[in-house]
Amino acid sequence: MTRQKSFIQKIKGGSPLLIKGTLTFRVGFFTLLFLTILAVLEPYINNHLLKGHSSTEFGLFPKLLPPSFEHPLGTDHFGRDIFSLQLTGLKYSLIIGLLAGGIATLIAVIIATASGYLGGKVDRILNAMTNSVLVIPTLPIILAIAAYVRMNLLMMSFTLAAFSWPWPTRVIRAQILSLKERPYVDLAKVSGLNSFEIMFFEILPNLMPFIGVGFANAIIGAMIAETGLRLIGLGPGDIPSLGLLLFWSMGFGAIAQGYYQMVLAPAAFLISIFISLNLINVGLEEIFNPRLKKVTGL
Amino acid sequence: MISKRMIKYISVKILVYLVTLFAAFSVVFFFLRLIPGDPVSRFIRQIEQRYSIQLAQVTREIIAEYKRKFGLEGDILTQYISYLRRVFLEFDLGPSFLNFPNPVQDLIAWRLPWSIGLLGVATLISWIIGIIAGTLVGWKRGSKVDSIVFGISLCMSQIPFYLLALFLVMFLAYIFAIFPSRWAFSPTVTPGFNLAFISSLIYHATLPSLSLILISSFGWLISTRSITITTLGEDYLLFAQAKGLRKFRILNRYILRNILLPQTTGLAMSLGFIVNGFYLVEWIFSYPGVGTLLVQAINALDYNTVQGVILTSIFTVLTANLIIDLVYPLIDPRVRSE
Repeated sequence: MTRQKSFIQKIKGGSPLLIKGTLTFRVGFFTLLFLTILAVLEPYINNHLLKGHSSTEFGLFPKLLPPSFEHPLGTDHFGRDIFSLQLTGLKYSLIIGLLAGGIATLIAVIIATASGYLGGKVDRILNAMTNSVLVIPTLPIILAIAAYVRMNLLMMSFTLAAFSWPWPTRVIRAQILSLKERPYVDLAKVSGLNSFEIMFFEILPNLMPFIGVGFANAIIGAMIAETGLRLIGLGPGDIPSLGLLLFWSMGFGAIAQGYYQMVLAPAAFLISIFISLNLINVGLEEIFNPRLKKVTGL
Repeated sequence: MISKRMIKYISVKILVYLVTLFAAFSVVFFFLRLIPGDPVSRFIRQIEQRYSIQLAQVTREIIAEYKRKFGLEGDILTQYISYLRRVFLEFDLGPSFLNFPNPVQDLIAWRLPWSIGLLGVATLISWIIGIIAGTLVGWKRGSKVDSIVFGISLCMSQIPFYLLALFLVMFLAYIFAIFPSRWAFSPTVTPGFNLAFISSLIYHATLPSLSLILISSFGWLISTRSITITTLGEDYLLFAQAKGLRKFRILNRYILRNILLPQTTGLAMSLGFIVNGFYLVEWIFSYPGVGTLLVQAINALDYNTVQGVILTSIFTVLTANLIIDLVYPLIDPRVRSE
């Protein structure tokens, strides 16, 4: 319990909104927080802007209006408000990213604890498996599955998770191996805790920040794959994530016809998600791996 | 000459390579067979829907013949064995739908050199740039240049290649029409070993490779920088500086050597990830490589070609990994020594 407290204390200062940490972590955290709030508020904002209609509904407005006060990014070739579409896309991209990343992290924690704790042959085999999946180009396989199997949100998240667990697994396994050798684990053994208790009460609390790093990694991996497969039009057509918005714009020929905002907007949202996740990732390592703080120097 | 340790090292690497290859191919086979329905029936259904026709009973017999051709006869174990025999012994990936009845391996063979050429050059350039820049930035750790470059790298390194490719197409091929937006060479030049063709080749490869180099280099920079800073803290480096060795010699002999080892392993580890992102870049630029073929095949539901591209990609990446593993002893004396 005391250790968990210190973990939270390390991230937060006195007030809950005053995030200490490094500059890297703060920039990433607040960017992601802002995007998440936008995504959470999406139903209300769109309800207000579209008066109860869905942002994907065709012909709500005249086609291809230029940006104006009512339509900050204009409307697209189906008469949809581009700004509202971005918010919906942001929401779905984040949901899929969080779901897939969460499942992948769960798989990673299970594999890494099994690998780190059982050690020996099990560890070697699991590690070889992790490295193989990491080395193999998996996108063609994901594309093939998405092309042949009818997908829904959950199915999609599981498919993405099935190929993005190796990143968090490596991070978490390395940390477990290092934590296992710490003196307080020996002390816990001497004081008669069984391996289950050691795993849950001694190692897991100290593992939390690295599970966080793994989670951020998994979300990045899953979202890169998700956007990639949506970019070529695969996946559920009724779940308009930012990748699918890009596909619609490209299919319309938005770049060639000069409607740049149709491509720029989803791309900019995606890039800010990726950057903020990476900053959180590096920031967490800086906070909890003080040896690295010297290295990153920010 | 070649020590016992080297022989052991090499044979272990080759054995691991073969086992991984076999395992990956088997997993891919069963994974793809988990998909309900068989590819030939699906393809026929797609034709029926697209042209709204019903194929007569006679054609059903032809379909059965096609299934035999595609290795879809018998139970899954029979299919698996015939698949292994065809892929590993006959190097036959089956006929393609896209270009029937040409076999998939012919389609891929024409496109693979384009992909390997572009990807190989771009990856090597970004690796070298990243290592050189990372060493210099790490050497100047704590300076203004360091924090600016490092900050930019943190932002750039995790952007997927295809998103940057979209930006490059938009800005450099459309808004400022400086570079071509598609294909690998201009239609006016004749392919061959002449200056016009080669310059057209480089001209067309600029944007696709830039989308990889601009992102990958920053990734290599970050890891190189952290290795450099760790190395700089070592005692032997302090000693080298105290001895009064020149900066270049320290960088070259003491730091670069320590960087090359982990970064070579890193290169091997990240190849699969790079290929993933690169395929979509190829498709964005309609580059005549394997990635573009993959997207075409997926849109046409061409099962054999999709499977062929998956297997070829895995085979190529694993082989590149093996080559890196085998070159590794050249730069790491510890593996060589008796």
